[in-house]
Amino acid sequence: MPPKFVEDRRAVALEVYEREPLPTWRRSGFWTTTLRHLRLEELEPRRYDAQSERPELVANDEIAALLVQRGASVVYSEVNDDRITLTSLEEAAELHPELVEQYWGKRVSPGEGKFPAATGAFWTGGAFLHVPRGEKIEKPIQIVWLIDEPGTAQYAQTLAIVDELAECEIREYFLAPDFAGQALHSGLFELFVGPAANVRLAHLQDWGTGEVYDISTRRVEIGRDAHCSWVPIHLGGHLTKQTLDIITAAPGADMRHTGLYITQGEEHLDLFTTDLHEAGKTTGDTVWKGALTGDSRASYEGLIHIVKDAQDTDTYLQTHSMLLSPRAKGDAIPSLIVETDNVKASHGGTVGEIDEEQVFYMMTRGIARRDAVRILVEGYFEEVIQRLHDPVLEEIVRERIAQKIAEAEEDVREYVEHR
Amino acid sequence: MSLEIQNLHVRTDEREILHGVDLVISKGETHALMGPNGSGKSTLANTLMGNPTYEITDGRILLDGEDLTEADPDDRARAGLFLAFQYPVSIPGVSVANFLRTALNAKRDEPIKVKAFGELLKKNMELLRVEREFTSRYLNDGFSGGEKKRAEILQMAMLQPGYAVLDETDSGLDIDALRVVADGVNALRGPDLGALIITHYTRILQYVQPDFVHIMLSGRIVQEGGPELADHLEEKGYDWVREEVAAGDAA
Repeated sequence: MPPKFVEDRRAVALEVYEREPLPTWRRSGFWTTTLRHLRLEELEPRRYDAQSERPELVANDEIAALLVQRGASVVYSEVNDDRITLTSLEEAAELHPELVEQYWGKRVSPGEGKFPAATGAFWTGGAFLHVPRGEKIEKPIQIVWLIDEPGTAQYAQTLAIVDELAECEIREYFLAPDFAGQALHSGLFELFVGPAANVRLAHLQDWGTGEVYDISTRRVEIGRDAHCSWVPIHLGGHLTKQTLDIITAAPGADMRHTGLYITQGEEHLDLFTTDLHEAGKTTGDTVWKGALTGDSRASYEGLIHIVKDAQDTDTYLQTHSMLLSPRAKGDAIPSLIVETDNVKASHGGTVGEIDEEQVFYMMTRGIARRDAVRILVEGYFEEVIQRLHDPVLEEIVRERIAQKIAEAEEDVREYVEHR
Repeated sequence: MSLEIQNLHVRTDEREILHGVDLVISKGETHALMGPNGSGKSTLANTLMGNPTYEITDGRILLDGEDLTEADPDDRARAGLFLAFQYPVSIPGVSVANFLRTALNAKRDEPIKVKAFGELLKKNMELLRVEREFTSRYLNDGFSGGEKKRAEILQMAMLQPGYAVLDETDSGLDIDALRVVADGVNALRGPDLGALIITHYTRILQYVQPDFVHIMLSGRIVQEGGPELADHLEEKGYDWVREEVAAGDAA
């Protein structure tokens, strides 16, 4: 039997879910994310049996731990480092109820909307990570969310707690093969970085060419004198609507938020990130870069929010969007709310195209136009990719980006010629 | 074997810049093209390389007999033409080494072996007195003026073009950097290279002795001669050329 607090929370979430209509997100006057093509009633949480063999989904030769949730079920887990706990959230709620109850839902709430409520009501399996005080985990800890059949609804909960002075690398993958049909990943993610802890967090989303909807809220809280580098990589997804927030919650907290996206075909990406400074003497550095091909739409809005009393904050946000197709549309919006004085906060946003001068320069070295464009886009993303600090993962990302640019070659040529 | 420029007329922004330029650069020769600012030197360099900003309205460009007048820049490069830019653009995220390997491979059927590439790079880095870290930096990104010019000559050394145009490679260089660049160019001179050094000043020509000197004024080559022409120009300045041309026109 699950503990009572789990059931109580489900009940609260279900109430919100039943009350809330399907949302439409509007922003900046013209940008709309709508779910009118989503046939939610046809999707269901699919259960699968656990498997004894490690699925070969990601680069995982050298790992501290791995947990794989396929559809609605955790199908595989292994922990090679007994200092850490990585289990399903269901199991953690029974085995470590105090810890789960203390942190779970501290930063996300079903009251935020239809999909956070859906996840709160319908989640199964889930991922729970705990790295105890002072432990330095060298090898990466991996969590994989897999959707491999159309018709799947995946309600995903991740709770990660890294205690004081601990260090680790966390990677969450969101994967689907190319399939025909709809699926949903509705996710809630919380990471708590304890005082003076140091975490490298990477999110890699590659939902393939199927009609996968990803509607997720992810929040990272950074404690006193702690550091977190968060690198979300968006390589594909039919419709993605995500809220990604990083909260420097105590003095000395420092964050680096470095993301990239590349969209193709009919993909629609809507990202809203907040760099929330809840305490003074905190620092932040956000860089997001995107590239759009095909008929895709991508909107990124990045907010720096410095609350009252958070003086001596020093933070910075930059976002760039590169159009590689005449039919793609994108925006890159930095914004700022500052409720105190004596802070440093700067921001900038650009939407641009491939620089023809750079293309010409490369062509004078014998490099064909299509290769020049690919190399320029790869170079543009390199700043983000190198923040992964993992040669194997970096190579996977580079290869996928190169592949996507190759697939979009016609668009790029058409675009360049019609300018 | 030569790079032949025949009666080249070039236009940009509805304005004709070059009004019929003829120039023949044979393999093994080093030519200097001199002229004041705005005389059309850089337009010629860019047009030779196929910069789409410039439109050829008349004339031809032949490389070893092959007509490159309409060719794309990458085809010109693969045919053996090279341009060292006056203002090289930066390519963030692409290291010098990576860029060089890509450019080398673009000319080859089989990609160059890692070891062979390493040896070639090492040799040329020594030639140009380039630090090891240099090749892992992003191309021209945050480079000083001297570093950019050195990167241009390093590319030239690696790509071994049949014909190289050096557009104001000496501009903005201090004397030490100029020496390094000039030594590099001298080391690459030989029977397999035809070079066109474009410059405003005679400074670089004290280190790289040209076989022929051409003076350009208002989109035309108005004077031609041997290395002594550069000395003459050093002494008397461009006003002397202008007067000569005016006198010639009057007569």
